[in-house]
Amino acid sequence: MTLLRRDFLRAGVAAGGLLAGACASPGRSGPRVVIIGAGYGGATAARYIRLWAPHVDVTVVERGAEFISCPISNLVLGGSKTLADMTVSYDRFSRNNGIHLVRGEASAIDLEKKVVRLASGDMLPFDRVILSPGVDFTYADIPGLNNAAAQEKVLHAWKAGPQTVALRRQLESMRDGGVVAISVPVAPYRCPPGPYERACQIASYLKASKPGAKLVILDANPDVTSKPGLFKKAWSELYPGIVEYRPNARVVDVDARTLTAKMEVDDFKADVLNVIPPMKAGAIADPFITANKRWCEINWLTYEAKNVPGVHLLGDALQIAPAMPKSGHMANAHGKACAAAVVALLSGEAPSPAPVLTNTCYSFVSSEKVIHVASVHKYDEKDKTMKAVPGAGGVSAAASELEGQYAMAWARNIWADMLG
Amino acid sequence: MTHTDLERRRSVGADLPRMVFLCCLAGAATLAVAQTPTPAAPPPPAFAASNLTPSGVRALAATCAACHGSNGHSVGGAIPGLAGINKEYFVNQMAAFREGRREATIMHQLSKGYSAAEVAALGDFFSAQKK
Repeated sequence: MTLLRRDFLRAGVAAGGLLAGACASPGRSGPRVVIIGAGYGGATAARYIRLWAPHVDVTVVERGAEFISCPISNLVLGGSKTLADMTVSYDRFSRNNGIHLVRGEASAIDLEKKVVRLASGDMLPFDRVILSPGVDFTYADIPGLNNAAAQEKVLHAWKAGPQTVALRRQLESMRDGGVVAISVPVAPYRCPPGPYERACQIASYLKASKPGAKLVILDANPDVTSKPGLFKKAWSELYPGIVEYRPNARVVDVDARTLTAKMEVDDFKADVLNVIPPMKAGAIADPFITANKRWCEINWLTYEAKNVPGVHLLGDALQIAPAMPKSGHMANAHGKACAAAVVALLSGEAPSPAPVLTNTCYSFVSSEKVIHVASVHKYDEKDKTMKAVPGAGGVSAAASELEGQYAMAWARNIWADMLG
Repeated sequence: MTHTDLERRRSVGADLPRMVFLCCLAGAATLAVAQTPTPAAPPPPAFAASNLTPSGVRALAATCAACHGSNGHSVGGAIPGLAGINKEYFVNQMAAFREGRREATIMHQLSKGYSAAEVAALGDFFSAQKK
């Protein structure tokens, strides 16, 4: 742990460059918070720190030009939405909330000098730093996909954006009677119900536009990892003869040239192969990974890294607490709990001893019908972790169009809640 | 516990009242079965006492915001806002959701995650927000 920290600090200290943030906020003298990542977690933390403590100077580093939501993006594959329907400009976020938005890539965090170093060489000074880096894919787990050419052919489409549109194009160009395969990694991964919602959306497109086509889910897990009963019902009732589900089918390699997925015992050749690769915390959080070489453990009262207090982490990069999904909604909840803790710590106060998180994951089983899973999580003092409140939460009784309306209302409200 | 385990546990929980009822109907034979040793259930969570200070309540209210809008200002259409709601109405509706007296898609589940004191504090918070 000490070595990790020392190496990390040295990497940061070695960098030169301009203190960009120091001159980016004329007239402000409050404490400075730098947040890395403006997705569901980071943007929420930024906005709520400004809502609850307007004297705090908040700078957000984001590599994307605009916000593109992963939730709802499977509908692009089904064809009922376009990427524009889930894209939000960062202009209002920055302007209406008084947040400095820096477009760029964070490359290191120097805890001694208290600056975030950017790939551009610029430095952002901070009193508190929050990392919400999302996930990176561990392509080394699938050797045949561990090169750029293969990754262009076998898409993940698991970060909404150009890959989402490209996967839709692959589906459109597929022959009638073709076979689509989706590979699901071992849990935990970003968005537990996402692969199964994707299966519904692709099946919906195949049913309408590709006579005789099939969709096969190659799932590394022993069963559907979220809402299993509801998804299986949707596949058999809405897409009979189209969706085939294979449990315990872990893809260990890929031949991108022949679009063949290689599993432990057999191979599967598809016309469109969509591999959702295994994941880990985003690279900037590497020094704080303490669980399974993939995820970051935190103190659930302060959201500080377990191995390096003083660095806050949230969102999909975290080692999840029991029954906690890696979801956009959960990252939004982390963002608020972390904002509350950071505001308290900056004022010399103790963080709340009783944080509460909620989660709701809506999934579209058709273009209109939706199912959900929901939960409430509270802090367990004995085990020092978040636990689902027994009896609170659950899943839909059945898929409905009413929940379809709620799902779109959820999307509009949570985007406004994080981006203002 | 995985996400799926949680869902399974939930659906078992949802059936509990009916199962208890059936047990009563079946009488002594069922009782004998129920008394056979079963694996020990996990201990109940040791949840921290609610934080109902002003900053605690505003953070608690923020758990409603993802669906109902920041500080209860819904811009989403189908989901109602909570800002400026009558406190008594809010508290009564949360109880109705909790007890299954008001039909819902999701609030009958989420309402069970908040104590009566928390619901009252949320009612104060949202009723004090400008519409």
